[in-house]
Amino acid sequence: MAKLTLPPVELVRSGHSACPGCGPALAMRYLLKGTGERTVVSVPASCWTIIATGYPTTALRIPMIDTPIEATGASISGLRAALDALHMSDVQVVGFAGDGGTVDIGLQSLSGMLERRTDALYVMYDNEAYMNTGIQRSGSTPLGAWTTTTPVEGMARGKGEPKKDIMGIVLAHHPVYAATLNVAYPEDFLRKAQKAASLKGPRFFHVLAPCPPGWKFASDQTVQIGRLATDTGIFPLYEVENGKLRVTRKLGQLKPVRDYIKVQGRFGHLTDAEIDTVEHEVQASWAALLQREAHP
Amino acid sequence: MIEIRFHGRGGQGAVIAAELLAQAANLDGKTPQSFAFYGAERRGAPVVSYARIDDRPILLRTAITAPDIVVVLDPGLVEVAPVMDGLKPGGTLLVNSPLPPERFPTPKPAFVATLDATQIALSHGIGSRTMPIVNTTMLGALSRVSSVVSLSAVQHAIDEHVPARPAENGLAAIEGFHTVRVAELPGLPGGKAPAGPVAPALSSEVPEAPIASMASDVLHTSSWRTLQPVITREKCTRCNFCWKFCPDNAIDLDAEGFPVVRNEHCKGCGLCAVECPPVAIEMVVEGGA
Ligand SMILES: Cc1ncc(C[n+]2csc(CCOP(=O)(O)OP(=O)(O)O)c2C)c(N)n1
Ligand code: SF4
Ligand code: SF4
Ligand code: SF4
Ligand SMILES: [Mg+2]
Repeated sequence: MAKLTLPPVELVRSGHSACPGCGPALAMRYLLKGTGERTVVSVPASCWTIIATGYPTTALRIPMIDTPIEATGASISGLRAALDALHMSDVQVVGFAGDGGTVDIGLQSLSGMLERRTDALYVMYDNEAYMNTGIQRSGSTPLGAWTTTTPVEGMARGKGEPKKDIMGIVLAHHPVYAATLNVAYPEDFLRKAQKAASLKGPRFFHVLAPCPPGWKFASDQTVQIGRLATDTGIFPLYEVENGKLRVTRKLGQLKPVRDYIKVQGRFGHLTDAEIDTVEHEVQASWAALLQREAHP
Repeated sequence: MIEIRFHGRGGQGAVIAAELLAQAANLDGKTPQSFAFYGAERRGAPVVSYARIDDRPILLRTAITAPDIVVVLDPGLVEVAPVMDGLKPGGTLLVNSPLPPERFPTPKPAFVATLDATQIALSHGIGSRTMPIVNTTMLGALSRVSSVVSLSAVQHAIDEHVPARPAENGLAAIEGFHTVRVAELPGLPGGKAPAGPVAPALSSEVPEAPIASMASDVLHTSSWRTLQPVITREKCTRCNFCWKFCPDNAIDLDAEGFPVVRNEHCKGCGLCAVECPPVAIEMVVEGGA
């Protein structure tokens, strides 16, 4: 029998109301295995508020606060101050927000929390659109993706703008630790969660969390597609500790981005020429990332 | 819990009145709360603020619609603002007015009290003729007609929290305390202000907070699925990948490390089957042959 590579403790219960095959459901499960039971989590309006709270039930074994969508950063700042005042400084304070609630609606609040050097971990689970309200584009939706507000009809070819560089924005605040994570790589996820939990000060996670209904793929493909996101170079895994960048999943030859794009309905309209453009951009940004690692 | 609603005009100090009352109640050993109604806070426009006082932490966070006490800082507001809305029977209405309390009939029987707080505030040099600031005078009067706060706590709160002219504000509060008149209520000794406090004693009822505390495992999400995983034990290498990737935590590992699907929680997503290296899991039609 193989050894467990993740702690057996389950702080997310069964019976939650995520769709079958939900990537964000895995994200919370892995995260809490890393931060442990002395964690409080603040969740703004997003899929995860619904996942956790089929009232009067809760899907978490730890306390969760339901926060206005623009206020996650402020909420975890307040939680930290309150816990410190109660001499409960050992409790991990975690904000767990969607991409829309982070890169768009909650950006000022995140910036404030980072700038104040709040001792908390802000986790953005990225399903690349406003999913809870029915698949509207966010600043984190990738170039070319179909959403209900970036349709594919006539001249319209899905989202016309590239994904917002949230890691760049966060790193400009010089957090003590920031990392990209992917639910398809749970061991890397766990190591980063444990590492973040061992540090003090502002910390940030950008978690790729595939969403079957929003990306238009079958519910059994979540992990396969997640792996491809990293292995094609589209979503590289790295961490930045005190300004020093390290790629945590080394890749020799990148897989063709076509492999990733072709299996998702939201990209179904992209032509070979459009995919080639994406391919070139991904290769350039991967090379740039390796440069930053080699020459900090 | 006692709920108090203040009606004033922007600039008259209604928000500070609620805050000062809360500070004073805190000095009295109570657990208070105060907040303002968010609106256009234009100078002279009607504004509303709220305070709640209890001897246990208050979990309610809503506006007050059925107050025990209403305090009106400007006599003109009785005509133009819904100051009496929801005032509880047996509650207290305190109005800044030179008129006797009988001139302010309430829809339901209530204690009505008045005082000329404008005159008092101006005589102490608080505010201006166009905008007298009557909040401290009114709090002094409130400490007389209700048990919700004591005069000494009001004075202390003024000393600590009123930056401009605290001494004058304190004197105005005392004068408010002494000059307030209370109207006769049917069934009460005629004509005289009650000697003691008239508001009901503080209750310690705390409303149930809407905290979800039932474990979600009681919900059987298996009803969502059309396919169901079936594990062939002979093929299983006990690698635990299926356990690791199940988004619904619906797979347990038995003592020997073999996976067991918790049927009532499996949503049938099929992830475990796709991730199983030796293909030991098959998705079969739910209830099918
Ligand atoms: C200020 C505000 N605007 C809009 C909403 C409606 N709303 C609720 S959940 C949600 C989607 C949030 O998207 P994201 O943060 O990406 O999380 P996801 O639903 O994708 O998990 C929106 C727009 C809201 N609750 N508050
Ligand atoms: S819409 Fe996507 S993110 Fe939301 S619960 Fe369903 S699978 Fe999860
Ligand atoms: S089908 Fe999905 S929900 Fe059911 S046990 Fe497998 S992974 Fe879990
Ligand atoms: S993934 Fe397959 S082989 Fe591994 S434990 Fe599960 S059933 Fe057994
Ligand atoms: Mg989203």
